[in-house]
Amino acid sequence: MGVVFGTFSMHTKQVTFRTDNVDDELEMTMVCHRPEGLEQLEAQTNFTKQELQVLYRGFKNECPSGVVNEETFKHIYAQFFPHGDASTYAHYLFNAFDTRNDGSIKFEDFVMGLSTLLRGTVREKLEWTFHLYDINRDGFINKEEMTEIVRAIYDMMGKYTYPALKGDVPKQHVDVFFEKMDKNKDGVVTLEEFVLACQEDENMMRSMQLFENVM
Amino acid sequence: MAAGVAAWLPFARAAAIGWMPVASAPMPPPPRDKRRGQDGLIILNVSGTRFQTWRNTLERYPDTLLGSTERDFFFHEETNEYFFDRDPDIFRHILNFYRTGKLHYPRHECISAYDEELAFFGIIPEIIGDCCYEEYKDRRRENVERIQDDEENDNNKDMVLPDMSFRETMWRAFENPHTSTMALVFYYVTGFFIAVSVMANVVETVPCGSGPNRAKEVSCGERYVLAFFCLDTACVMIFTVEYLLRLIAAPSRYKFVKSVMSIIDVVAIMPYYIGLVMTDNEDVSGAFVTLRVFRVFRIFKFSRHSAGLRILGYTLKSCASELGFLLFSLTMAIIIFATVMFYAEKGSSASKFTSIPAAFWYTIVTMTTLGYGDMVPKTIIGKVVGSVCSLSGVLVIALPVPVIVSNFSRIYHQSQRAEKRRAQKASKQTGQALVCKSNPTFETQHHHLLHCLEKTTNHEFVDEQTYETSCMEVSLAKPSMSRSSSLSSSPHGLSSCCTRRNKRKSFNVPNSYMADGRRSSIQELSTIQIRERPMSNSRSCLNAKFEETVHLNSEEQSYITAAVISMPTPPVTTPEGGDSASSPNFLQSNIVRVSAL
Repeated sequence: MGVVFGTFSMHTKQVTFRTDNVDDELEMTMVCHRPEGLEQLEAQTNFTKQELQVLYRGFKNECPSGVVNEETFKHIYAQFFPHGDASTYAHYLFNAFDTRNDGSIKFEDFVMGLSTLLRGTVREKLEWTFHLYDINRDGFINKEEMTEIVRAIYDMMGKYTYPALKGDVPKQHVDVFFEKMDKNKDGVVTLEEFVLACQEDENMMRSMQLFENVM
Repeated sequence: MAAGVAAWLPFARAAAIGWMPVASAPMPPPPRDKRRGQDGLIILNVSGTRFQTWRNTLERYPDTLLGSTERDFFFHEETNEYFFDRDPDIFRHILNFYRTGKLHYPRHECISAYDEELAFFGIIPEIIGDCCYEEYKDRRRENVERIQDDEENDNNKDMVLPDMSFRETMWRAFENPHTSTMALVFYYVTGFFIAVSVMANVVETVPCGSGPNRAKEVSCGERYVLAFFCLDTACVMIFTVEYLLRLIAAPSRYKFVKSVMSIIDVVAIMPYYIGLVMTDNEDVSGAFVTLRVFRVFRIFKFSRHSAGLRILGYTLKSCASELGFLLFSLTMAIIIFATVMFYAEKGSSASKFTSIPAAFWYTIVTMTTLGYGDMVPKTIIGKVVGSVCSLSGVLVIALPVPVIVSNFSRIYHQSQRAEKRRAQKASKQTGQALVCKSNPTFETQHHHLLHCLEKTTNHEFVDEQTYETSCMEVSLAKPSMSRSSSLSSSPHGLSSCCTRRNKRKSFNVPNSYMADGRRSSIQELSTIQIRERPMSNSRSCLNAKFEETVHLNSEEQSYITAAVISMPTPPVTTPEGGDSASSPNFLQSNIVRVSAL
């Protein structure tokens, strides 16, 4: 009887058996994707062959399987913004890049998005941004959507900012800009209104040119 | 940040276009992108084996031989490659480090050869990945010990350090008897006297034949009282002298007095002195006899002379919980069987099992299979219970013992490994902070990105302390509106300028000024911050030229002073742009950069 009690009382650690689950997960991640040929991509985007090569090497390094899922995307993006929480904005970015809405970004999607952002015309860039802001893809941006995006941007700042974030700063921020953009005051911003408002803003146009030489 | 993520920085910067429509302020100008030429292949010829990699891969770690201009010394013009006369097998691992960011240690390689290659290529071993780090450290430790043993054998006699004080020499002599001949002599003498004292304690209880005046046998102690007394006195003299000398030589007397060995020393010599003091009174002589028992503790003084005893004591201490469990289960079994035995034997006449505690003795003797036979059950139930008791006793005693033994070794090795890992982790972090720096271009572009975010939201990154002080300041700003004039008129330009070029690790703002205007109050903050250690790399230097920093009081700058970014990422080495050269500084904790806007 002492044996029984002795053995029970000596088990201080819990042993969990998790080998089965790990094997299942391993099988699922073996899915690999290879992009189309280099020539095709060069034709579809505005990048040169060398730029595509560099992009693909970086892409493949971080995602050896060839696809990025939302988790990995958020993880990568969060590394650039260590102070705050970049996951919300990364989520919206992911949806903007994931044109096929299948929950993963392949290299083609990635490179098309980058081509628009870095080598596209002003109109294309503004259209891309409009799609980023239009969360529910209904062709209109209403105030709530814009507030969501701006809130996500403020989240990336983190808690420790100067001046301190008191009150609903994102909302105030949005009020200012929404007034500017919604020309006919119908409560939503259409693509045309958006493009018009942006083109009128000198600062913004100048800022957009800043990122030309990112690659 | 992993080197691989650096490849995604262009993407992160491109995605910043999404902030533009809602940006509150214009964006800062982008950093000058120094085009370093084509991203070409580099051929590395290591003793005939050709390795090839991208130039960018090597330049991820600009602090190593291959990543810096130092490799130009090895450039071979005729074949247009870099030639290294080193071991190609180990070079493979070094090159993999550049590719993957992880350094691995191959188990079949000699540790000193590997270390030499790492030192040649300028790579710090602390960045070895977790998978290979323990193995590497173990091998290294063995190597170091081997070298130390060799050195000790070579020069064990001439270890004279003349600059140690007499007290330190004495303490060293006590702790390491091998350092000098005197210490060795002292060591053996005390050991001898411990043995003599213990032997005397033992022998004095042996019967020595009948004394001249008495009929019965007396023990040797009572027969040769004087001789034993002299022996005891001599031993105690030696022990007392030794204790006092150790007390004098100890670097920390308080710690010495608290240590186990000194308590054993005291307990060993106390009975003699108490015996001297006390008279031969009948009442207290009983207690005095008990005290003599403590003399046997002198045998524990041997643990200074034997490392094995110390290890045993340590293992027992570390297995205390396992032993406790064993004791607890045994106690439960004993109580159960004793109770059953008692009630079973209650009926029989002249039973020795008078009470349950009396039955404890029987249970223990039976369970450990001793079976003295002084208590034997007589009833049938008693005999049945007795047999069950002895059978279960075998199991109860035999089963946990191997478990405890294996627990001993497991716990012993585990504690050793845990300590090893703790020491390793500390040195690893320092090493990683030193070596894991991404290239400066990446850093400037990353800063520009964060700067854009600040501009978009019209807020700045600060660290926790600044944030709290600014919160306090804002709440204090309201009541006192009167004192603005004196503060804003004082010339803060130069002092704030110096602040901006200084980096500071931490500061305590006395917050004595009740400033109302935000600008003046923040200028106060900045002046207070000056007093810390100036370091070279402020972010403002990256974007602004040196001359511009003087004009702080200009009106267009609405956000003066203290925006502080504390980056957990490693420091920037040299800033891009035409600035004065600032030497890279390595910080092991958070780096704080002041950015004035």
